[in-house]
Amino acid sequence: MSAPSLLWRGAALVLLLLFITAPQLFAFAFEPLTVNGAPAIYNQGSLLSLTLSHLRIVFLATLASTILALGLGIFVTRPSGREFLPLSRSLVNIGQTFPPVAVLAIAVPLVGFGEKPTFIALFLYGLLPIFENTLTGLMEVSPQTLDAAKGMGMNPRQRLFQVELPLALPVILAGIRLSVIISLGTATIGSTVAAKGLGEVIIAGLQSNNVAFVLQGGLVVALLAVLIHDGLGMAERRVSAKLGRAADEVS
Amino acid sequence: MSSLRSSLSLDRLGSVIAVLIGAALFASPFVIYRANRIVAGEGRMLADALPPSGSVGVMVLALAVAGCAALVRAPLIRLAAASIGLCAIFPAVGWSAGFITPPGNTFARVSPALGFWLLALAFALLAADALTRLRLSPWARLAALAVAAGAVALLLVSGAWNDLSLLKEYAGRADTFWREARQHLWLAFGSMAAACLVGLPLGILGHRVPRLRNAILQVLNVVQTVPSIALFGILIAPLGYLAAHVPLAAALGIRGIGAAPAFIALFLYSLLPVVANTVTGLRQVPAAVIDAARGMGLSARQRLWQVELPLAPPVILTGIRIVLVQNLGLATVAALIGGGGFGTFVFQGIGQTAIDLVLLGAIPTVALSFAAAIILDAIIDLTRRGSP
Amino acid sequence: MIEIEHLSKRYAETIVVDDVSLRMDEGTITVVVGTSGAGKSTLLRMINRLVEPSEGRVLIDGQDTMAIPEDQLRHRIGYVIQGYGLFPHRNVAENIATVPRLLGWDKRQIAARVDELLDLFQLDPAEFANKFPHELSGGQQQRVGVARALAAKPAVLLMDEPFGALDPVIRSKAQDDLVAIQRRLGTTVVLVTHDMNEAFQLGDRIAVMDQARLLQYATPAELLTRPAEAFVEQLVGTAERPFRLLSLLKVREAIEPGPAEGEPVSVTDTLRDALSRLIWTGREALPVADASGALVGRVSVKGIVAHGRSAP
Repeated sequence: MSAPSLLWRGAALVLLLLFITAPQLFAFAFEPLTVNGAPAIYNQGSLLSLTLSHLRIVFLATLASTILALGLGIFVTRPSGREFLPLSRSLVNIGQTFPPVAVLAIAVPLVGFGEKPTFIALFLYGLLPIFENTLTGLMEVSPQTLDAAKGMGMNPRQRLFQVELPLALPVILAGIRLSVIISLGTATIGSTVAAKGLGEVIIAGLQSNNVAFVLQGGLVVALLAVLIHDGLGMAERRVSAKLGRAADEVS
Repeated sequence: MSSLRSSLSLDRLGSVIAVLIGAALFASPFVIYRANRIVAGEGRMLADALPPSGSVGVMVLALAVAGCAALVRAPLIRLAAASIGLCAIFPAVGWSAGFITPPGNTFARVSPALGFWLLALAFALLAADALTRLRLSPWARLAALAVAAGAVALLLVSGAWNDLSLLKEYAGRADTFWREARQHLWLAFGSMAAACLVGLPLGILGHRVPRLRNAILQVLNVVQTVPSIALFGILIAPLGYLAAHVPLAAALGIRGIGAAPAFIALFLYSLLPVVANTVTGLRQVPAAVIDAARGMGLSARQRLWQVELPLAPPVILTGIRIVLVQNLGLATVAALIGGGGFGTFVFQGIGQTAIDLVLLGAIPTVALSFAAAIILDAIIDLTRRGSP
Repeated sequence: MIEIEHLSKRYAETIVVDDVSLRMDEGTITVVVGTSGAGKSTLLRMINRLVEPSEGRVLIDGQDTMAIPEDQLRHRIGYVIQGYGLFPHRNVAENIATVPRLLGWDKRQIAARVDELLDLFQLDPAEFANKFPHELSGGQQQRVGVARALAAKPAVLLMDEPFGALDPVIRSKAQDDLVAIQRRLGTTVVLVTHDMNEAFQLGDRIAVMDQARLLQYATPAELLTRPAEAFVEQLVGTAERPFRLLSLLKVREAIEPGPAEGEPVSVTDTLRDALSRLIWTGREALPVADASGALVGRVSVKGIVAHGRSAP
């Protein structure tokens, strides 16, 4: 990675950390946006704790989706689950036409307000990209490699853990990254159903007509998403470095 | 002998569907009855939800479909069974609403309950699996979509569902519903059209100037990462400033809150798929073809118009499919900043814990995205087939 | 020793291998040759049970392969395929260590074995052990593929078109190397190819297959002089026959007494090479030298040509 882009990322990270820990330092920048002496910096809760609960719910939901989606993806690519493969592929296609907001909205009447509907929406919607990428990753493993593994006497479990999953890992990680980014956005909307998170700042701003809140909420969420997207992308590139280059060579 | 056995053996997926149908029929309420639209409701099992002849009829039919799912593998038969099942339970739930609602009571609400949704899910799964295995041609898929849309329209127009809570919510806001529908479509399609107008030339430019390509794609990638509501929020401040200080902007209807930031955000989100797929579509032309074209003396411009662009449409259309499905979904969020669209009902419904109001916004959104995906997939297949 | 008894494979209506019986002696190279779709790969894959036979059985050293759990069976049989199937996520040393690791060898033993094999295949351990497959040339990948198959000292090595992906120059070197290593280790090799030249260069015995059937199983010379069917004759190549025969024979088998002018040929050269030298130099005869360089007689055009006839 080039030095300027590293520097840029570092600066963005420092700025974000500084803003959520000591937002008052930046009050001067938001004051021009307020009217009638409204507060320039969100004052109904600490940005730090909102950020942490935002990240917590995204992390937990993604963890749960990853476990289930990975398990399902492995199941439908085994001989015993092949019958479910065509349907599961079309279900993922259909599922992705559902807007995440709709999933969130339908969950509320079923489980009430708060973290629960948000978690359910993040979890359900997060399954799709991870499942899809697990399928792609596992099915892209070259038949030749699998034949060699089988010919050397690897049993199905050894083939899965020593050959298929390591080779599919970069694609699976890409799915997890996509899922995390979608979840970060959906969790923001989760604030409309009273889940604790950064969406609160934006919603509060919209309700009280305070553009300063709306803007700072938007900026924090945006910066968080971009940095996490970037960080996960870096991890992915590291993992795929040897495989990625391999993929260019092996036709 | 063996072929007979394989056509009648127990199908795993079919068995799962049969279990779902069983659970729906015998362990879940078919509809929910509520004294008014926001109080907690009580479930009614199928046997109590319809007159005896009706409930027995639905039960026998559903069990027949379950048996068919578990034992028959021929996709056409399974598709027929699933369709018959769907054609039975949808009117049945409307009939049930009329049957349960005490005569003259205008406050009582009847909504489909878990049992109905499970049956619908089971039949839909069976149909989806059959359709996947049938590998229909693009035209056949479009025809299937048209038939399904026609059936839904018939159901709604016939008044069979008028006693359901969902349609009572609609009846109270028929005017607003169609206004928000127009707004939703305008946001989704308008921003997509704008993105095509800007994105296609940008993609062509990016294709011809590699350094520009990386810069454009990097910026658009960052934009795509920003969550929708955050992007709305970021746009509100400058647009508000514009509206307050530039009279022309205000005259054009640009305000900080409302449709303008939503439209612009959707436009920005749409750019990445359009530009990226245009570039990919142009680049996918095999190097040998480009080499041959150069060898015959075609200039860069001639190569673009005669070789690269004619081969690109399927990939560009794939980008447009992504944009359309994404926009139809994201437009719901616009309601949060006063931008209108079906999201208005969703967020109102959340505020009032009225699930039927939520569904009034959510169902059309999902149906639109679903139809858009099917139609565009069919078009993409058709252009693919047309190109050599 | 591998004994194949009445082995058949059927998929629904089609028969892929039809009642094949063969015996491969210990320490020899058997080449199965035929056109594509003849069933030769399926025959090979039934030996390590990657394909389960429909009928018949395979015995290795007298033991029925069906009596051995399939993974254990494969641990004992080396397997090399076209394209090699090296694991892209593992480096050369890890690739070679695959089967020893599955067998639970201890680390030091594995490391020693990997170094030994890299040396055997002329790959410097310091340079190659930590490289990944995509960093290797085609020839190096091929050597790693064979080394990996030999890692757990299998008595039997199955090879399915192992040289198919190599260019001609590297291929002939790789073939020579294989023979040298096979002679040294005494491994029983079964190799599948569609290349007749390869079959003649490598095979102690050659099995010719066509349309699921075994047409002939014989030494190369027999195949040339007594083809069992017209198809074998055609596959061997009628125009090539005398030269193939000559390349199977060594100079020592055609030595005549007496002197001759010119640069001597070696007793271990093939008759084909000697004839080629004779034609090129325009001589009727050349002297023959033994391994120590001492002259032991001469070879003549006439004498060599006599060896290239169908009934010597």
